Amino acid sequence: MKKIYLKTRFRHTLTLSIKESFSIFMQECKTVCTDKGVIIIFLIASFMYPILYCSIYKNEVLVDVPVAVVDQSHSKRSAALLRQIDASRDVKITYHCTSLQEARKVFNTRKVHGVIFIPSDFDSKIVAGQQATLAIYCDMSSFLYYKALLTSTSYIILDNSKQIKTERLNAQGITGEAAKMVADPIPYDDIILYNSSMGFASFLMPALLIIFIHQTLFFGIGMLAGTAREENRFHVLVSSKIHRMGIYRIIWGKSLCYFVLYFALSFYTLGLIPRIYNLPHIGNPVDIVYLLIPFLFATIFFSMTFSTFFRNRETGMVLFLFFSLILIFLSGISWPLKNIHGFWRAFGWMFPSTQGIQAYVKINSMGATIREVSFEYISLWIQTGVYFLTTTLTYYWQIKKNKIRFRIRQIKGHKRVLTINNPTKQSDNTADYKSES
Amino acid sequence: MSHSFFSAVTKTLRRELQRMKSRPLYFICTVGVMSFCFLFFLTLFSPGQPTAMPIAIVDHDQTPSTRSFIRNLSATQQVKVVMQLNNQAEARKEMQKGNIYAFVEVKHGFTADAIANRRPTIVFYVNDTYLIAGSLLYKDISYMSALASASMQQKVLRAKGVNESQIMGIIQPIISDTHLIGNPWANYGVYLITLLLPGVLQLMVLLMTIFPIGVELKEKTSREWLRTANKSMAAALIGKLLPYTVIFILLGIISNILLYGFMHYPTQAGIGGMFLATIIYILAYQAIGILIIGTLPVLRDSVAMAALYGLFAFTFAGFTFPIEQMPYPVQIFSEIFPIRHYFRIYVNQALHGTSISYSYAYYLIMLAFTLLPALVFYRLKKAAIYMNYPTK
Repeated sequence: MKKIYLKTRFRHTLTLSIKESFSIFMQECKTVCTDKGVIIIFLIASFMYPILYCSIYKNEVLVDVPVAVVDQSHSKRSAALLRQIDASRDVKITYHCTSLQEARKVFNTRKVHGVIFIPSDFDSKIVAGQQATLAIYCDMSSFLYYKALLTSTSYIILDNSKQIKTERLNAQGITGEAAKMVADPIPYDDIILYNSSMGFASFLMPALLIIFIHQTLFFGIGMLAGTAREENRFHVLVSSKIHRMGIYRIIWGKSLCYFVLYFALSFYTLGLIPRIYNLPHIGNPVDIVYLLIPFLFATIFFSMTFSTFFRNRETGMVLFLFFSLILIFLSGISWPLKNIHGFWRAFGWMFPSTQGIQAYVKINSMGATIREVSFEYISLWIQTGVYFLTTTLTYYWQIKKNKIRFRIRQIKGHKRVLTINNPTKQSDNTADYKSES
Repeated sequence: MSHSFFSAVTKTLRRELQRMKSRPLYFICTVGVMSFCFLFFLTLFSPGQPTAMPIAIVDHDQTPSTRSFIRNLSATQQVKVVMQLNNQAEARKEMQKGNIYAFVEVKHGFTADAIANRRPTIVFYVNDTYLIAGSLLYKDISYMSALASASMQQKVLRAKGVNESQIMGIIQPIISDTHLIGNPWANYGVYLITLLLPGVLQLMVLLMTIFPIGVELKEKTSREWLRTANKSMAAALIGKLLPYTVIFILLGIISNILLYGFMHYPTQAGIGGMFLATIIYILAYQAIGILIIGTLPVLRDSVAMAALYGLFAFTFAGFTFPIEQMPYPVQIFSEIFPIRHYFRIYVNQALHGTSISYSYAYYLIMLAFTLLPALVFYRLKKAAIYMNYPTK
């Protein structure tokens, strides 16, 4: 008899909780859809940011970086060398100067981002079988200038050197295969993997896409919680209908709403955008979906935990906007992870974006499977669990605090309870202001 | 008149200081955030360049001479050989796991080929998904390979009885002597933090201009604010924003001192020019903040706008990806960011050490931004009086 009673009671609770979770889910969806501020963050920002950034970084590599040359050698050889440099993809010679002083002047006006100086003894030294030197001055305001200039010049110098080497070896009586062997005894092959053009967008954009998801979720959920707090709606969340375990229904209902929305959005951000803008996308989509589940839940619970601290709708963004930048550096995508100080690495581990970026880049750009990113994958599940717990605690604390405050006000018959949702009293000021002025 | 204006400013100022004391948000968003960023960026990039980046070796040959090559590779500061693997597939897996950024493959029979003059090849694979690690390792490994080749050449040429003075001329006929202007160590801190800190600063200046004004509109206290300032919008704005101007200028100066004094980052033309730039820079961004909240007198919208504009500053400064390599419309767009002009001043003053006459124009352009509030002056005043914008 008791068993049957318990069984029906359990079934009753279960259906009730599913029903109530679903109703909270629907309620939250409605809140999201009717709040213009949240729509701006969740939908417009998520939609626009990837397009904007991808268009800005459309050019992956630097082309024709302008440089000035000072050719004091005036020889056939130096002219040929400069012609080759000019013909390379990275560099373009835009100024021919007669002295370094003149080149410096052009450099200081930032019309060129490098200077190539060929001294007067360049040709004579080569003829005499000595080492000839040329000088390269690089603009260090962006490391990409420096890279472009060095890549093209060193390649061309190497190419020219080979020719001269062979000539000199021939002069020493070493010819044919033997000369080839001496000139380059251990040739090397360099193979650049996964981002073979060394493109800037291919490197940065995948990480930014994850940051967009992480940050819009964080700010959107923060705004929703801030609104609830402004309007003093927290206590309403635990209506008298919900008995025990009510808090979980709230958390499940709400998080499911965000999850469904962002799961759909991610098809655009992580699926469509890399294909439209031709970013790396060699990963298996199924693996990305596997990754997305813990990543989204971890981010949602992380955001829900912190959102309870925001007093206003906008506080979250004002406080943590700068953190988007910190998260990029913590992720280890630019400054190598192994070189980040242990303290910051541990600090970075706490954020779902760090694991999300690492795992997404490995799957999407490097073709890894879930097995290779197991560290990040497990970390994300751990984060999901931990942040779920912290969400429960902060929600519990918040609701309890609100309930108590609400009751105290009710008991005391405090007038503010009445005016809080009724700002008419304050807007009376308009009249007296007008009369004053 | 001027006396009453002055008293209006002081009254508003006093009111604002009271408001600032009432919530921790104001302290956190000024001193708190900037202190965190000082600590974070200065410790993150303190080595200047990444060191001991992990790579692997796939050595099919396993002879003393290949081992000596590996030892030489490990001896460089930026490379650390962390594992020896059996084949390419394993190495690729390790790369996908992120444990190594590159690997070198030495083919079977390498030493025998080298002795028999059959020109064996070294193959190295670099992962350029991590651009910084990838390009540094590429440079280092190719340098080490060239060095290995050079030492081999030297041995052979000596054996052939070539004159010692001619050997270097044969091994390396052309030397390039590279000068990195202003940052000879290719220090990433110099390259990044000098713009990242001003970047965060402008973000916080924007937000902490928009928020204090916007929150008055939102909480419907803007009329009280105006009344405190004797209904003078100018006095109201000056009184309100003065505390932030002072705090941010102090923080800006501290950031300059930390970078150019404490860290000894280069300032070829003296630190004074950077101080001046920082002060105008902060005023320019406060002006833009007023422009944004004046145009969109809804806190939610103007914060979203500031987020867009403030985060784009990192892109449009032009220190990561150069502006002139971006699509043309984007290049024009970059001019509306004071950080773009600040960056030019920084390059001229700190990196290249040119005379200040090269930078006058940029100082003036930044100064011109401070006139922007005039455009929205009356709109903002109206919004403050009628409070007829949505608050949610």
